[in-house]
Amino acid sequence: MKRAFLGEFEEVVLLTVAVLDESAYGVTITQEIEQKTGRAVGFSTVHTTLQRLEEKGYLSSKMSGATAERGGRRKRFFTVTTAGRKALMEVKNIREQLWDALPPQTLQLMGG
Amino acid sequence: MQNQKPPRWLSLLLSRLGDPNTLEEVQGDLLELYAHWVETVGERKARWRYGLSVLKLMRPFAQRNEEYSTSLLSPVMIRNYVKIAFRNLAKSKGYSFINVTGLAVGMACTVVLFLVVKHETSYDRHYANGDRIYRLETENIKEKHSYPGTYTGMANALHADLPEAERVVPLLQVGGTTFADPSSENRYKEKFVFAGNELFQLLDYQWLAGNPKTALSQPNTIVLTRTYAEKYFGSTDVMGKTIRLDDKQNLQVAGILEDYPVTTSFPFNMLVSFSTIKNVNPDYDLNRWNGWNDNFQVYVLLKKGIDPESLTKRFQGIVVKYMGKEALPDKRFFLNSVSNLHYGMNMSGRTANVSLLKTLSFIGLLVLLIACFNFINLSTAQAFKRAKEVGIRKAVGSNRWSLVYQFLTEAGLLTCLAILIAVLLAQLVLPIAAGALAVPITATDLFSWQTGLFTVALAGLTTLLAGVYPAFRLSGMEPIWALKNNTLAQGRPWFSLRQGLVVVQFTVSLILISCAMLINQQLTFFQKADLGFNKEAIITVGLPNNKPEKLQTFRNQLAELPQIKDVSFSFNSASAESNWMQSMQYRKGAEAIDVKTQMKMGDSRFLDTYGIQLLAGEKLRDSDTSSTSFKLLANEIFLDRIGIKHPADAIGEKVYYGDGKEFATIVGVVKNFNVNSLHQKIDPTVIQVVPNNFYQAGIKLQSEKPTAETIQAALARIEEAWTATFPNQVFDYSFLDETLKQAYQSETRTAKLIEVSTFLAVLIACLGLFGLATFTAEQRTKEIGVRKVLGASVGSIIGLLSRDFLKLVLIAVVLASPIAWYAMSEWLRNFEFKIEIQWWIFALTGLLMAAIALLTVSFQSVKAALMNPVKSLRSE
Repeated sequence: MKRAFLGEFEEVVLLTVAVLDESAYGVTITQEIEQKTGRAVGFSTVHTTLQRLEEKGYLSSKMSGATAERGGRRKRFFTVTTAGRKALMEVKNIREQLWDALPPQTLQLMGG
Repeated sequence: MQNQKPPRWLSLLLSRLGDPNTLEEVQGDLLELYAHWVETVGERKARWRYGLSVLKLMRPFAQRNEEYSTSLLSPVMIRNYVKIAFRNLAKSKGYSFINVTGLAVGMACTVVLFLVVKHETSYDRHYANGDRIYRLETENIKEKHSYPGTYTGMANALHADLPEAERVVPLLQVGGTTFADPSSENRYKEKFVFAGNELFQLLDYQWLAGNPKTALSQPNTIVLTRTYAEKYFGSTDVMGKTIRLDDKQNLQVAGILEDYPVTTSFPFNMLVSFSTIKNVNPDYDLNRWNGWNDNFQVYVLLKKGIDPESLTKRFQGIVVKYMGKEALPDKRFFLNSVSNLHYGMNMSGRTANVSLLKTLSFIGLLVLLIACFNFINLSTAQAFKRAKEVGIRKAVGSNRWSLVYQFLTEAGLLTCLAILIAVLLAQLVLPIAAGALAVPITATDLFSWQTGLFTVALAGLTTLLAGVYPAFRLSGMEPIWALKNNTLAQGRPWFSLRQGLVVVQFTVSLILISCAMLINQQLTFFQKADLGFNKEAIITVGLPNNKPEKLQTFRNQLAELPQIKDVSFSFNSASAESNWMQSMQYRKGAEAIDVKTQMKMGDSRFLDTYGIQLLAGEKLRDSDTSSTSFKLLANEIFLDRIGIKHPADAIGEKVYYGDGKEFATIVGVVKNFNVNSLHQKIDPTVIQVVPNNFYQAGIKLQSEKPTAETIQAALARIEEAWTATFPNQVFDYSFLDETLKQAYQSETRTAKLIEVSTFLAVLIACLGLFGLATFTAEQRTKEIGVRKVLGASVGSIIGLLSRDFLKLVLIAVVLASPIAWYAMSEWLRNFEFKIEIQWWIFALTGLLMAAIALLTVSFQSVKAALMNPVKSLRSE
């Protein structure tokens, strides 16, 4: 099988879902990313990314928790699947390997 | 919280166009976010963000392109369909050729017909006030006939008594008048119209020079179109120049118009101011209420929002006021919309022949249908060849729809090829078709967006028509059957759809052939019919002036010419399109018999010149003009109407003009001759000498069958004599037999068109037959081989292969004959004098068709029969 590929934004979204744990749905994910990264993210971008991640099998979802505030509509809660966790770990491992391979003087120059 | 609702239309948009699978949570999320945004960034920005999100989530933009589609109409599959379709077309080149040719010819017909119909229905649609322009028409209630013209008093009456009219525009059209540029001797015979400035407000005109408000205010002014300005003066800078009308009156050019579009019923090139009428024709009465002429028409521009139907009372009022109460039961006026003018009599002389157009469209569709049938036949015939393909595709997992699409793509590809060729063909034949139909369309009409749209629609329709049945038929095969047996179904039905379609094709062809033959018979009949007078070798010339001394000079000059046998001055020829009708009364004791009679006004030479036979009594004399003793000749039908049996008994009887006191005495009886075209019965007719109604000279040449040289010589001498008698006029002549032929122009045209479509239909049907024969021969190669080995003769094999097709032709003959017979007897009802439909026509067409079919099939069957059986049996 081809190695999992995660885009940068996909990775951020996937991580955020993991961070929010039980309460990850469209609105919280969007707001969380905005707060944490400080960049303005469109809701539609988050929405399509979530969809794509679910199609790839990194996320699973279920509907629940309707509130009056939402006009009685349910939320779609996302949880990271095993494949998703694996993919995240893999990305992290690659990053760490690369960091480790960084020569010490370069690391110092970067202020590490 | 009321104001925290996002804009409704955006929410609506989302619910309509969002992805239904995720719609619920998306709607919820956005509502929640909206509230959040309102609090954090304010309502205006919140709305903005909300809108942006909705837009991005709408499906056309939010489509997920990573999705791997399994749809049968995904680009990958479509590419595959097209590729396979190309391969299949290339593989069976012969069949593809037949299909493309047939479809192309059929579609070219349809495209040309579309252009014709589009042209004929586009007349008078371009005026800015078009929906308010009407023509006032006059109806004779008793005759049940309405006329485009009206009384000359009507224009004034409408001004006074029809307040609903914004403008009243009288027009008087005059034909055959000589116009000249006095400075250059450019002289032409023209048709022109008397009009006022109101006309320019009624219709839309573009002015090159002159003032539309005043151009035709004064008497003796004229407005020309660009073309006519160039015709007379060679430039358009001609304001104030002079044109001479009929050698009597100088007119000053007061305006130049841009040329009118082709699709108008008002093609006026020369407009003379209305007030000029009195200078040209001082007797012209503009307040006449008895008798009218179709050349005088009145147009009305109604005020906005007036319904023409609501004016009935007004018109009744006009009848009562100007014609008296007693006229009410017989006369009615009504308004006819300008958009209807092209379908009836109008001033352009061009009328759409609706029934001819309908027939044509119908035939065009039939030709297209025949071509589609070819496609259906050939593709189902090939079913057997493609059974394996279908079987394997199905076994591998293709579903039925993908096969349907596959076959439809093949049909579509063929149609596209065909339509390209069809457009080329249409461009080639358009000038010919336009000439044959007398419709002014050109190749530029072919490349308009309407034609483009029509072509695309036509291609789609043809694809479906030709492709749907084969697609479903072929894709429906059981894979097991297709792979295992690979032979045609056992126990063939005695009559398959394929045979049915061939029968339809032949039926249509046969109907067309027999119609073409019968129409031609009728046309020959027109040519050969005994008209009761002799139309050969007669030249007619107009007389611009009929003063007795002028006529005498002209006659004397002609009398000297050796080529000329006889000359007669008359109102019109022995048979003519426009006639003088007169009510005559025969009083027998107390009883009065009214006869609607045609007046022929001619001099003493009339009978001899036209070869009309005198049955009793004596000929007229040129001196028979005294009002105290009018004399006339009557024809047999006239005698019949007034109840006199023997011609000799009629001599000396008196007949009265209408119910008046004036009468004339019958001095002779002539044999019946066709005073009208053969469409109509012979009217009761009388001949009388009325010199001031002589408008034409009939000149009979010496030889019955003159050669081109003698005619030329005679014409030159006649022109000399004519110009000497009538200086400053344009000499104009015609041959009587050709003039008479024009009455049958519409029939000649129909005949030509039916001949062409017959040819095309037969051609396409034969192409299809040829394809089917090829296929049958191929399929039965083995059988033929075995038969030959066992001793079958070549003849018997040809018979075997041809018999099936002949059977179909026979069925088609049986079907076609009654239909053709019915259609033609309907058509022949148009004529008072007509041929009998004989049975042998149908037998002959049947034989002809059988021969054509046999010839088409024999090419293949002979080839198959002559083939060496060793070859056909050896190959597997």
